[in-house]
Amino acid sequence: MLRAALVIARKDLRLTAGRSAGLAQAAALGLLLIFLFSLSLVPGQRMSAQGASAVFWMASAFCQVIIFGMLYGYEGGKGQKQGLLLAPIPVQSIWLGKALAGVAMLACAQALFLPASIIFLGQELGPAWKAGLVVIFICDAGIAVAGSLTGALAHGQTGKESLLSILVFPLLVPLFLGGIRVGSSAFGGSGEAIGDWLGICLAFDAVFTAAALPLFPFAYSTDE
Amino acid sequence: MLLRLRDIARFYGRRLVFSDISLDLSRGEVLMLCGPNGAGKSTLLNIMAGLVRPSSGTVLCNGELRIGMVGHHSCVYAELSALENLRFWAGLHGLRLSDKELTGMLEHMHLAAFAHEKAGTFSRGMTQRLDLARAFTVNPDMLLLDEPASGLDEASLAVLRDETAAAAGRGAGVVLITHRPGELSFSACRVALLENKRLRLYDDFDAFRHRSSEERAC
Repeated sequence: MLRAALVIARKDLRLTAGRSAGLAQAAALGLLLIFLFSLSLVPGQRMSAQGASAVFWMASAFCQVIIFGMLYGYEGGKGQKQGLLLAPIPVQSIWLGKALAGVAMLACAQALFLPASIIFLGQELGPAWKAGLVVIFICDAGIAVAGSLTGALAHGQTGKESLLSILVFPLLVPLFLGGIRVGSSAFGGSGEAIGDWLGICLAFDAVFTAAALPLFPFAYSTDE
Repeated sequence: MLLRLRDIARFYGRRLVFSDISLDLSRGEVLMLCGPNGAGKSTLLNIMAGLVRPSSGTVLCNGELRIGMVGHHSCVYAELSALENLRFWAGLHGLRLSDKELTGMLEHMHLAAFAHEKAGTFSRGMTQRLDLARAFTVNPDMLLLDEPASGLDEASLAVLRDETAAAAGRGAGVVLITHRPGELSFSACRVALLENKRLRLYDDFDAFRHRSSEERAC
């Protein structure tokens, strides 16, 4: 399963690299959000660490909607989707491959969002910044796992971006909550029980994975 | 026996497409599936592939089959080169083929000169050839071809005939939809005519042609 997932992820990343829009468009939207929120501050004012962390995760949330819409759009021609489904691989490999490609793309976008949050929202890295990076990774994994499943559900539907947002955002609230709290500590805010939040995020990653494995074959089929 | 269909029926909504379809496909066999537009040939092929569930009836496979399929919708990724497309599909089927081997397949299909060009720049015929190259590359147990000759020139038709016969020679079961059976005649093949919601089987192409001419005379 992992071998096939890596083949699919590599193909998706290659397709993304070959496009002038796509990831750049998703990253630009996130950066624009961070910049717009910076305009709410008077010159020299610093946004609260928790507020900045929330803006960072909001940018990431909108970015992932575009990313997973794009990743499943690569099989928009129907034939490619049939080809994937006919390959002698577990169908969940497609879900995992898209999740792996999605997490890599989201991490690339966040590599821009993080310095942009520091610069535009007047933040500095606190002593808990390493824990912050770990929680970004854990939340990204959960976002990718859920995003890949909901991306498959929304694929082929009219207005798929809005449907994807409606499906995925309520699911991701616990992860965003954890990400915002721990991110706040990383930006020098008051250190809450980071370990507890990490545990909660990991638990939601596990729940999303356990739900996605049996649900994905129903979400991604060609039968009418 | 590679594939066995028994009493297959398929509805689209309340419309019956076909019913009572029973069919066996053996290893090394070529079966031509003919019939008028809208008879349900592509639906039947998709049922054989497992992409569409029949409304009733059973589909039995002899183990997990490696399927090479060329349908109405191309599997080609327009933004990958011809070589990258083949590399991806071979990798997905667990085949570790060198670029030389993949280029060899492209050469068979008269596409070697375009190996590094994006498939999105290809003409319809070239895309069809690349799709066929993909289906042959994965070394299938069952080859399902839906009007594979569409868009192909004479030279490519000859390659299609040779590669299909070679795949059957290696033990693959081949089902081939065509509107012009004479265009792709194989030395030994059964012909299935899907018409008026029923399937009729002929042991060889001559029997089908003879029967057809009698029916036309009637």
